[in-house]
Order: sequence, then C-alpha cells, then structure tokens
Amino acid sequence: MFITSLLSGAIQCGTSVLYGIYGETVTERVGVINLGTEGCMVVGALAAYVCTYHTKSPLLGILMAAIGGGVLALLHAILVIGRKANQLATGLTIMFLGLGLTSFLGQQYVSVSIDGLSMIPIPVLSGIPVIGTALFNQDILVYVSYILCPLLCYLLFKTRLGLLLRATGEDEEVVFAYGANPKLLRYIGVVLGGMISAIGGAQLAIAYTHTWIENMTNGRGIIAVALVVLAGYHPKKAMIGAYIFGGAQALQLLLQAQGVHISTFILQMFPYLFTICALFFASRKKVQAMPAELKKIIESSANS
Amino acid sequence: MKDKTESIKQALLTVLALAVMVVIFGVFLMTQGVNPIQIYGDMIVSTLGNSYGIGQVVVKSSPFIMVAVATAISAKAGLVNVGGEGQLAIGALLATFVAVFVAKSMPGPVGILLMLVAGALGGAVWSGLAGLMKVKAGMNETLTTVIMNYIAYDIVSFFVYGILKDPESFSWPMSPEIADKLRLPEIYVGVSIGIFGAVAVAIVTWLVLKKSACGFRLRVIGGNAEAAKHAGFSVAKIQMAAMLISGAISGIAGMVEIAGVEGRLRTTTGVNYGYYGFLAAWMAWNNPLAAIITSVVIGFLCVAGNVLEQSSGLPSSGTKILMALVLLGILWKGKGRKKCS
Repeated sequence: MFITSLLSGAIQCGTSVLYGIYGETVTERVGVINLGTEGCMVVGALAAYVCTYHTKSPLLGILMAAIGGGVLALLHAILVIGRKANQLATGLTIMFLGLGLTSFLGQQYVSVSIDGLSMIPIPVLSGIPVIGTALFNQDILVYVSYILCPLLCYLLFKTRLGLLLRATGEDEEVVFAYGANPKLLRYIGVVLGGMISAIGGAQLAIAYTHTWIENMTNGRGIIAVALVVLAGYHPKKAMIGAYIFGGAQALQLLLQAQGVHISTFILQMFPYLFTICALFFASRKKVQAMPAELKKIIESSANS
Repeated sequence: MKDKTESIKQALLTVLALAVMVVIFGVFLMTQGVNPIQIYGDMIVSTLGNSYGIGQVVVKSSPFIMVAVATAISAKAGLVNVGGEGQLAIGALLATFVAVFVAKSMPGPVGILLMLVAGALGGAVWSGLAGLMKVKAGMNETLTTVIMNYIAYDIVSFFVYGILKDPESFSWPMSPEIADKLRLPEIYVGVSIGIFGAVAVAIVTWLVLKKSACGFRLRVIGGNAEAAKHAGFSVAKIQMAAMLISGAISGIAGMVEIAGVEGRLRTTTGVNYGYYGFLAAWMAWNNPLAAIITSVVIGFLCVAGNVLEQSSGLPSSGTKILMALVLLGILWKGKGRKKCS
C-alpha cells in the first residue's frame, strides 16, 4: 500500500514539474533559456483556477492557462529575441512579474476550493496490482502528460518543423542559409514552451490541490529548468527527474501522515536537495548535449 | 562631444522607457477601478513628503544596496548569483544565533562585531557552496543559487520554529528579541547606521573594481573566461573568491536587518530582499554606484506598496508588478552599447 501511495503521489506531484520540463525543453532546444517558466507556471495555475471557478469548466481553465503562459513567454521572447536582452535577467523579471500579477489578482481567491479535475480510473489497466491505481487512476492532465512525451519526441525529432527548431538551437546561420527564419522559429519554440509549462501550473491548481495559494508553484518552474539538464534536453527522459522530484515531495507528505517525527522543514528540503544532486550528476556528463546557441548565451550572460 | 550627446540620448531613452511603464501600470490600476494619478500622488506624498516616509525608504534601501553590490561583484567575475536571498537569510540566522546564545553577556561593540562576522560567515558559506558546485562540478550557478534560496527558507524556519523560538512568543514563530546593546546605533528615527555601511560598501567596491589590479582580473574573467585562462589567470580561484565576498556582503545585509531593523529573526525577515537587490544590480548594469540609486528607487517602490494598500485597498503586491514592469522597460531599452561589441 505504501508503495502504491508513494508512486501515485509522486506522479500527482511530479506532473506539474513534468509539464515544466517539457515546455522548457522545447524552449531550450531553440536556443533560449526561460527562467520565467516559474512565472508561466504560476500564471497558468491562477488562470486555470479562476476560469474553472467561474465557468465550472476545467477544460476552459486549461485553455486559459495555456494562453496566459503563452503571453508571458511571448513577452520573454520579444525581449530576448527581438531586443537581445539578457536572457537570465529577463527570465527572472518575467518570473517576478508572474508572481506579482498572480498574488495581486489572485488575492480574493486564496484558499477557496473548487472541484476541478477528478480522477478517472482507466478500465482494466487500473486493476493491475500495486502500480495500476498509481499509474491509471489519475486525472486527465496526467494521462495527457504520458501521451505528450512521445508526441513531443515525434514533433522534435521526426518532423520538418522539429528539425528546423532544433537546428535553430544549434546554429541559426545554417537555418538562415536553408531559407527558414530562425527568429520566427525561436518565437514559436519559446511561446509553445511557455504554454506547455503553464498547463503544469494548471495541473497543480485544478487537479492536484484544487485550490489557489499565492506563490503556489514554489520554485517548480526553476526546478523544471534545472531538470531539463538532467533529462539531457530530451523529452523522453523528462519523467525521471519529474517523478523523483514528485516522489521526494510525496514521501514528505506520507511520512507526516504516518506521524514520523522529523521536522516538516527538513522534509521540505528533500525535493530541492534532490534537484541539486540531479544537477550535479547531469553536469558531469551532459554538457555536450546542450544546444550550441544556448551554450553561447549561458557563457556570456553575466555581463551582457 | 559625440560621446556626451550619445549618453544624454541614452539617458533620455531610459527615462522614456520608464515613463511608458508607469503609464502601463496606471492603465492596469484603472482596470482595477482606482484613479492612477491619485494613487501615484499618494505614493509620492506619503513616502517623500514626511520624515518618517523618507526614513522608511532609506531603511528598505540599505539591504538592497548591499545585495546589489554583492550581485555586481559576482557578475564581474562572470557569475549570475541570484542567491542573495538565501545568503542574506543564512547571514541573518547566524547573526541571530550569536546575539541570542553568545553575545548576550558581552560588551555591546564586541557583540555587534561578532554578529557582523557571523553574518558574513553565514552568507559566505551559503554562496561558497554554490561557488564550489560551479568551479568543481561545473553546475550552473544561476540554478543552484535560486534552488538554495528555497533551502535557506526551510533552514531558517526550522530554527525559528525550533531552538531559536522565543518561549514568550506563544505560537508566533520568531526568535527572542536581541539585547538593546546589540542594536546598531540610530542616526534618525528608525534608521540605523546600516545605511552608511551599505553606501560605504558600494563606494569601496566601485573603487576596487575600477582601480585595483584585483578588479582588473575580475573584469577580464567576466569578459572572457576562456581568454583569461590562456592568459594564465586562475579562473576557478577568482570566481570562488568573488562568490565568497559576494555572499559575505549579502550575509552582512542580513545581520543589519537583525541588529539595525527588526531586532529579532522571523520567517519573513528579508524575504524578497535578495531578489530586489538582484534586480537593482541589473537595473544599474552592475555598476555599484548606480546600484545605490536603483536600490533607493526599489526601496521607494516597496514603501509605496504599503500606501497602495492603505489608500486604495489594493494588495501591496501591486508594486511588484510595477517593479517588474520598470525592469522590463530597462531590459527593453538595453545598455545602448551593443553596436560596438
């Protein structure tokens, strides 16, 4: 039972981060880093929450989240692509804007709970012992996140658009010589990335917690950016980091529920410590996987 | 001559970008059903129109100046240190520890000095960890420093709810109040000598960066680490030193919050100050002297945020939006020297 609850909790908790990793992977593949992913996610959370609260339609909520996150990511894109502003500073400002906007506009909704998305058990599959309920008795956004993995792999690695997007992240001059517009491709990558990340925020608000709390993403967007490195900039490995992060969080809640006497604050550090460890291991070998254009940006970002 | 007209043009463009953002925020306020002109007026009158308001702006600005200078130092070495938040928190934590458990029975000045050392040490340990991860393992310091901020919050909460908790505070999570003799001397209503310290740190840093060999090395590395390596510079050592100094300064900012402003540690002590300081440094393009001005602007906006809440009933977080917009305006305008490089 413990294993099932842990696994189930890891997936519920980790799915928001998973969307963040998916989104940021797309963004970084076109050679842009968006620390504003945190902002996109928190805006997604509030947009989904407010929309679901008023229209009673979680689907519209998810749509609003994607739009909100997309708009914020577009702002990032305009500044870093159109105006060549410093990517890290711009990303942090976008994060700050997202946090400010949501704590301002969301104040009246704090701690009002909603129905949101409910669990949909998948027949037969959810009957598998131990892992069945964990994997296949989840909300719709979890199932979408399962499908999104092969879908993104297909988009990035099997389609012409994907090839162009990846080429933009490796060497924009090649794309230009090929007759495509690298700027436009970057805009597409960044905005699409922001939209996907924001759906992660939506999952957090309307499916996982069913409530809105100021600053509820609590660093998940930043963690997603870090875990992209662990995933080697590939959607197929995104789940590993996301679910271990979710697992660390779920373990904390489970231990608390069992009355284990460890300080909450120590337990709360687990997911962050895990992320640092993940970065440590990823940094040892994955450096060559970083898109070349992104590498240039990171190396020159402190003083530009 | 050409340079002068060019720099005037740049300054005007910055002002224009800021004005546009103020207008955008004004429109946003209108959508919230309040009169922006009246709000802006209230903000200015109640912050700059009386001595208490001015004092509050100064008090708020001091930690921002310190963190901004700290951010600038690491930036000159080519590092994006966003960890001022956590470094300040750990500095404040260690300073409080010293004040509560060690310095109680010491003469005031000695105790204050010990707190200062503890604050600097706390901040330096926290930034040093990120520095080690950078130079030893090649981990991106922007990510590690932000993540370590969250860990620092948890550590502070752990102690403030635990062994540092004031037994007389009932359920409120806060440390006992530190002894009066450990408080920094006041120079004005509510304003401690901390502001002088902050300004002095900024000036000294500016001088060192600009004039000394040490500053030169830092700038070379920040400009092009690869070239610096070929020139025989020990990039790792210098980056590590920059991180340690940067963290120590942020840690001292935390100590000043305890000894000069709050008098005790709360879980909310210095929350967001690290980010504000970081933004102040970027607004000043990492120039320590300019950072004094941008920090005061952000300090003003923080105090004005409370006015927003009092006079219109809107959440004080509104000023966070204004602050982000101001910074976006500056990022939009850019440094204005791009064509040369």
